[in-house]
Amino acid sequence: MIIILVIIAIFAGLYMAWNIGANDVANSMSTAVGSKAITLRQALIIASILNFLGAVLVGKHVTDTIQNKIVDVAIIADHDLMLGFMAALLSAGVFVTLSTWKELPVSTTHAVIGGVVGFGLIEGGINMVKWRTVENIAASWVISPIAGGVLAFIMFKIIAATIFSNKKPADMARKIGPFFIILTFFIIFLSIFLKTRVGAMLEYTTWEFALMALAMASLTGIAGFFLLKKITGEGYDIVEGLFRRLQVMTSCYVAFSHGANDVANAVAPVAVVLMLAWKEIDAIYILAIGGMGIAVGIITWGYKVIKTVGGKITALTNTRGFSIDFAAATVVLVASKLGLPISTTHTVVGAVIGVGLARGLDAVDLSVIKKIVYSWLLTLPASAALSILIYRGLIILF
Amino acid sequence: MPFRAPVKDTYRKKSPFEGLLDHIGKVRECVHILRGGILRYVDGEFEGFHEIAEKVSELEHEADLIKGNIRAHLPRSVLMPVDKRYFLWLLREQDAILDHAENLAQLLDLRHTVIPEEMRDDFKEHMNLVAATVEEMEKAVENVKDLLMTSFSGRERDETKTYIHNVHKKEWEADQKRYAITAKIYEMEDEMDAMDEYHLLKIVDWIDDIADHAENAADWLRAMIAK
Repeated sequence: MIIILVIIAIFAGLYMAWNIGANDVANSMSTAVGSKAITLRQALIIASILNFLGAVLVGKHVTDTIQNKIVDVAIIADHDLMLGFMAALLSAGVFVTLSTWKELPVSTTHAVIGGVVGFGLIEGGINMVKWRTVENIAASWVISPIAGGVLAFIMFKIIAATIFSNKKPADMARKIGPFFIILTFFIIFLSIFLKTRVGAMLEYTTWEFALMALAMASLTGIAGFFLLKKITGEGYDIVEGLFRRLQVMTSCYVAFSHGANDVANAVAPVAVVLMLAWKEIDAIYILAIGGMGIAVGIITWGYKVIKTVGGKITALTNTRGFSIDFAAATVVLVASKLGLPISTTHTVVGAVIGVGLARGLDAVDLSVIKKIVYSWLLTLPASAALSILIYRGLIILF
Repeated sequence: MPFRAPVKDTYRKKSPFEGLLDHIGKVRECVHILRGGILRYVDGEFEGFHEIAEKVSELEHEADLIKGNIRAHLPRSVLMPVDKRYFLWLLREQDAILDHAENLAQLLDLRHTVIPEEMRDDFKEHMNLVAATVEEMEKAVENVKDLLMTSFSGRERDETKTYIHNVHKKEWEADQKRYAITAKIYEMEDEMDAMDEYHLLKIVDWIDDIADHAENAADWLRAMIAK
């Protein structure tokens, strides 16, 4: 009986991972493809490799949150726990399919959380759910797009104030660019070192890690300085050309952060089922499988989505794309480190609006905000209810 | 198969400013063609003017389509780097330039009025000043591209303001010319047929209207790019 459950869980998890790769990659890579920073083929390669790396290297925190911190797993019987997480996974799967079919900005993350909460409620009542965690997660859904917006606003204002207001904008861009590179890589290295398996193996203190990250980031900054120096000339087009190179970097950053945060939606429930079935199992393998699933989704289906979305978006220049990507990736990565499952898509939308408010975009349609708020209000209760139904069904079956 | 990618709905493929630039391009082209026709008309060469009037109408219609398209794709919830009301007023005044150009062309085509020789140079100068006003206006609107690119940097704002200042200057010069011509017409009214006199006054007024609306457009542009 257990083996059937395990097989269903793995397939459902793979379906989710495939979907995350296929659909969500468009939201994170379409700015780069739309602004012609990278080609479609490059986007697919970058996205699949870095999503995988992000999932394996940094994906554990969010996975832990979904597994252990939403319902009181210690009290629930193993068998019920397995069925409960199965129910959460299946209800999230239904939501992914539904949102893809109806083109709604429903988040996979929200559906999974809703599913886990739903099963917790029916299994042990109100007290079974750790409401403090759920509150924090729900708050992060509102905060993450706002944080993305604020950060993108600040980044773009910095670019406008230092580069565009300068008499020699391209010269200034060549000077400022390396600092953006250092900042980006500093955050990435820090995320890989702190509270991760890699960090545990190296056994340094936080400050030593910070220094190491800074030193490594500075090296990339110096490399970047020489790379940007090669692009000569002056004028706004040259500035955009310089940022096209920088945007290749932020696209990687987005893909990495996306993998780190979103892999949990697919693998956390699977991990629970597998661990209960086989007791001893290394989380890294499960993360790797999830990362692979995302990569396969990107390669088999993601290209179609990026092509469609990228084709519909052309009004974005590289300085704008850079600001959006940097802001969204930073917020998503920080949330991943805090173990907060947030929606990458909503954060990207927030960042787009932030650049719009900084007078960086010709026209931003704010009606998407309304849709996103509806999806916040609906997804959690709806997927909780669905999860309860599925859980009841599973109890009868198994 | 549909996809879920709300990002694509957030920012649009076609910028309303692209439409604005297309529109002012049509305005300039239209006034340029009309100017060529009027310079010949003033010399009494009426042949071929009908074709020019038709061409002007055609351009006016094309610009109307652009205007309609911009308005149709500007929903209430759209966030723009400038005040949307000022943007729409600017578009409206640009369109008014075309409306007056078309009216003028049609009027001139309906009655071929011979312009007295002693006024011909004044009429030509006036037309050239009015066309120059529109050309400066086009430069000002063209510079909006750089303004958007740099997110309204002080440098680009100053450049746009310089063009706007030029519009005012040319419009003022055109006004002076118009008063001079009007005065001349009144001086000669005893020697003239009443209908001719009426028509000459009409022509000079309507040519000048084009510059007036270019100036109005410049004012809205100034308001639009204000901090």
